Amino acid sequence: MSGLSRRGLLRGAVYGAGAAVSASALSGCGSIAGSVRSADEIEYWTLFTGPDGELMKTMTRNVEKRVPGLKVRTTVLDWGPPYYTKLAMASAGGRSPDVAIMHLTRLAGYAPGGLLDPWDLDLLAEFGLKQEDLNKTLVKRSLYQGEPYAVPLDTHPFVVFFDRDVMDKAGLLTGDGQLVPFESPKHALELMDKLRRSGGTLGPVFGHANDAAMGWRMFWTLFSQTGATFDLTGKRAEIDEDTAVEVVRFMADLTRDSRTMDVQTAIAAFANGRSPMIFSGEWDMATYKATLKDKLGGSPIPTFYDRPAGASDSHALVLPHQDNPDPERRRRAHRFVAELVRSGLTWATAGHIPAYTPAVSSPQYARLRPQSEYAGAAKQLVLDPPVWFAGSGSDFQTRMCQALDPALGGSSSARSAVRTMVSQINTLLAQPNPA
Amino acid sequence: MASVSTPARRAAAGSSRRAGFRRAAATDRTRSGGAGWLFATPFLVFFTLFLIVPIGIGLWMSFTNASLTGHGDGTLVGLDNYAEAFGDSQVWQTLGNTVWFTVLTTVPLVLVALVMALLVYTGMPGQWLWRLAFFASHLLPVAVVYQIWSMLFQPDRGMLNGLLKIFGIDGIAWLTDEKYAMWSIALVTLWWTVGFNFLLYLAALQAIPDHLYEAAALDGAGAWRRLWSVTLPQLRRTTGLIAVLQVMASLKVFDQIYLLTKGGPNGATRPILEYIYDTGFTNYRLGYASAVSYVFFGLIIILSIAQLKIFSRRED
Repeated sequence: MSGLSRRGLLRGAVYGAGAAVSASALSGCGSIAGSVRSADEIEYWTLFTGPDGELMKTMTRNVEKRVPGLKVRTTVLDWGPPYYTKLAMASAGGRSPDVAIMHLTRLAGYAPGGLLDPWDLDLLAEFGLKQEDLNKTLVKRSLYQGEPYAVPLDTHPFVVFFDRDVMDKAGLLTGDGQLVPFESPKHALELMDKLRRSGGTLGPVFGHANDAAMGWRMFWTLFSQTGATFDLTGKRAEIDEDTAVEVVRFMADLTRDSRTMDVQTAIAAFANGRSPMIFSGEWDMATYKATLKDKLGGSPIPTFYDRPAGASDSHALVLPHQDNPDPERRRRAHRFVAELVRSGLTWATAGHIPAYTPAVSSPQYARLRPQSEYAGAAKQLVLDPPVWFAGSGSDFQTRMCQALDPALGGSSSARSAVRTMVSQINTLLAQPNPA
Repeated sequence: MASVSTPARRAAAGSSRRAGFRRAAATDRTRSGGAGWLFATPFLVFFTLFLIVPIGIGLWMSFTNASLTGHGDGTLVGLDNYAEAFGDSQVWQTLGNTVWFTVLTTVPLVLVALVMALLVYTGMPGQWLWRLAFFASHLLPVAVVYQIWSMLFQPDRGMLNGLLKIFGIDGIAWLTDEKYAMWSIALVTLWWTVGFNFLLYLAALQAIPDHLYEAAALDGAGAWRRLWSVTLPQLRRTTGLIAVLQVMASLKVFDQIYLLTKGGPNGATRPILEYIYDTGFTNYRLGYASAVSYVFFGLIIILSIAQLKIFSRRED
């Protein structure tokens, strides 16, 4: 019994706990090292969840089947500011994943700071992916100082979806099922009134309330159609404010039935037939298709002003910076990306327009509807201004949407919205680029 | 007579008792040697690693142009970040929003909790039901609170506007109109968190000795007199505690705003913590974000000390 004194027991417990902690810490280290760096797996970060996530998983698996010895370990992170924070930190640390998805509009905040490594075009070509087979606008945007820092997988524009039957009845479709052209904003408003009268429903809907991107997407679409000045290259923004005011007014008039709609409500209004037309991201195509089936029509955003344009972004593949990249892993990363981008046709089933042009011009793609109907959006896409603070999931887009929302909701004027936007942009321009 | 003690005698007894404790503690310390330290070590290690060290690093960073992308690290910029912070209209605007939110929430969160506790304590039938009902919302995670209220606030199909319509009132853009957004957030916060303060008050009410009420009743005090002269003075300490905790909690508001409005419309509900988050983690300016955090940290400390002083003076 003497060996089992209270003090002895306590001491034994403390030593035991200490041993257990250090042992688990050691084994923990081992497993962490193993999970991050495995000789035969390449690490791939994506931001796709839901149906997009499932599809990406399938595509990755297919690539693994096609290429013997290529193993991909995918990490899915929630999209938005947290994703970009994690990616920036991993790249700054120099021990980042081998490949990652990134919105092309975020490149301006990443490439100049050395957070990304450039792609080897010869290596990509060796694996069957030539740069001339990719969407030209996207390729141009993927360059920084002449070097390719991103390989675009798709473009995901802001488009229009509609109910064919109702639109046809209102006389808003041409003989071959396309939207009738709008000659001017005024003409568009007249036609929308006709739509309201004939269908006895809401006009076009648009979910912007409390959203961090939709208001900006619509504004940027319409403003870009005017061709007016929107220059963020200097210390202060040079923006044609009168045109911007006109655009905001038109946005409010066009979607006067959905002044206070959030995205979910607008989606519901369109999917359950309360509205026959919605301004929306193509990523919601599957939701609409599920309820409207063959009645679902799609189109690039119509040209309301002088030139065709539609706000868009692109999921692109990047090489996050690594201090000491292993040449063999880099080679495999190139192989993986070449295969992935060439599987554009599979990716298109989710609604995205592949950046790989042979996929878009294939007969199989033409049979995908309504994807092929809005595929023209890829020819008129406009991306966010190439400044470090803009792009998908940025503070900039949130601020623009917040400035627009009261004007779209009818509680403040278009002029005051534009003033706020300009002053917010000037605040951001005055800040130093942290990269 | 023996039981009567003068203040002087009480003080003397108290000080001798304290001296006794000190002596006992000293001998205990010598006897137990390092065991106390050994037991405290795990906590001290974590406390140092995850609180003291980051606070120190944060303070250092606030004097540099550190960036999340690893660039600009270590370059001292002196007080530039602080100078920028004091001249930054966004800092003042978001600080104003934070203070406004604190004002809007603290007063009702103290008063409503008190009224609820009094109602339950002063003999409403079915006490368990009221306790559960008043506290239940506090158990919900913020994501659920957001889901419920974003539906209730929905301008076209939401219940709140539906109710207003019955009375012939036009719908309100609860979260998208600058005039109403902060009030709406305050309403959600009241609904969500009042249960905790209610519980504190209820516990305090149950701790008031019955003999005080008996004595008051014997003196002929009615219900109101007993409330004003017995209950509320007895709750003073709890009210002080709740007020201090509430002010600090409200100043640190982030989650429900980030989920419900993301700081909009037009920045009308953006709290300073969201500005710090956006500056540091979305725009990568860690050095500047640290400086703004330290300005805010300083403000919270000053407010807390002032509040504690006010309430401790009342106690005297």
